Amino acid sequence: MELKFLIVDDSVTMRRIVFNSLRNLGFSNYVEAADGKEALVKLAADDSINFVITDWNMPVLSGLELTRAIRSDQKLSSLPILMVTTRGVKEDIIEALQAKVNNYVVKPFTPQVLREKIEQILSTN
Amino acid sequence: MNRPANMTELFEKLNDLKSVFRYGQKLIPIIQSLIDFMQETVPLLENINSSIADSTTKIPKASNQIADVTEATELATTEILDIVDLINSDIDSIEKDLKGLTEREKQKSKIIQKLTEAVKDNPEAKSLLINYEELNNEYEELNSVLSVLQKIKNDAYNITLSLQVQDITSQQLSAVNHLISGVQNKLSLLLVDFQETNNDELKTMKIAVPDDASFNPEARYGKDVSQQQLADSLVNNNGFRTTQDEIDKLFS
Repeated sequence: MELKFLIVDDSVTMRRIVFNSLRNLGFSNYVEAADGKEALVKLAADDSINFVITDWNMPVLSGLELTRAIRSDQKLSSLPILMVTTRGVKEDIIEALQAKVNNYVVKPFTPQVLREKIEQILSTN
Repeated sequence: MNRPANMTELFEKLNDLKSVFRYGQKLIPIIQSLIDFMQETVPLLENINSSIADSTTKIPKASNQIADVTEATELATTEILDIVDLINSDIDSIEKDLKGLTEREKQKSKIIQKLTEAVKDNPEAKSLLINYEELNNEYEELNSVLSVLQKIKNDAYNITLSLQVQDITSQQLSAVNHLISGVQNKLSLLLVDFQETNNDELKTMKIAVPDDASFNPEARYGKDVSQQQLADSLVNNNGFRTTQDEIDKLFS
């Protein structure tokens, strides 16, 4: 099954950097959203999205709230979620894990770390 | 009526009054200096007041300028990303052509080998073919150019990764903007109610970052991997079994 990523970040720059990184890893199928609310709209409209990469701090609906919304939706609850954020303190990471993100990447990330986390998620899903 | 007692009381009162007058006499220069101080201070306070008014009007401009900087850097970063994409696209196209040429070189080499085999009984022809192959085989050079192109692609990709700095600095600038707005609110309070403002109240007013802020005031750009290591440790331990010692070790 081909992977289709949903890249959620309010920064256009970060969305493009994540996409470039995915392309370098051999993935080119993606859609993007500027905040959690837009992401939920995209998820509702597109059944083929099977991997979410989300930032934390975003206007309207944060990445954490997006994660909680996905996990509480019966149809979406098993979607793999990778949080890519500047928040790197213990309390934040635990909060994200409690919201049930599958893995956590602290910005600025390296391609190796991104690849490793995507592979880890895919191998356990 | 007990006259001597009344007189004694009167004298006591007079003595008290005398003390009060003496004290008053001592107080007069102090009060005078206080008045002088007030006279000097009032223009200063007026200056402070007008400075606050001035700062309060300038703060929104500073805030807008910070927002403009963020917008400009995002635009510039997007332009860089566009250019890097174009470079990558050109490299992909050159790579494709070079790979085609490499394949043709391989085919040419195979044909020359067959020809050499066919003319093995003609030493002159064989020697000429070997010379021809040596002069025309550009396989090695093409591979070398391909590896240089791959290096350029990697370098271009690393440029895009470094552009994460834009997102991180824009979050820092948003945090500064938030602080500026907080300072403006405090100054506005001082300005509106300069004399009645409770100083303690102002001191305790904190410029807190709201939970739903779309920026992280702690965002940092650097090569420190300790936070990623902490995240990995927490993820691997399902977030709850990492000890404080392990966390301290990561930051030591």
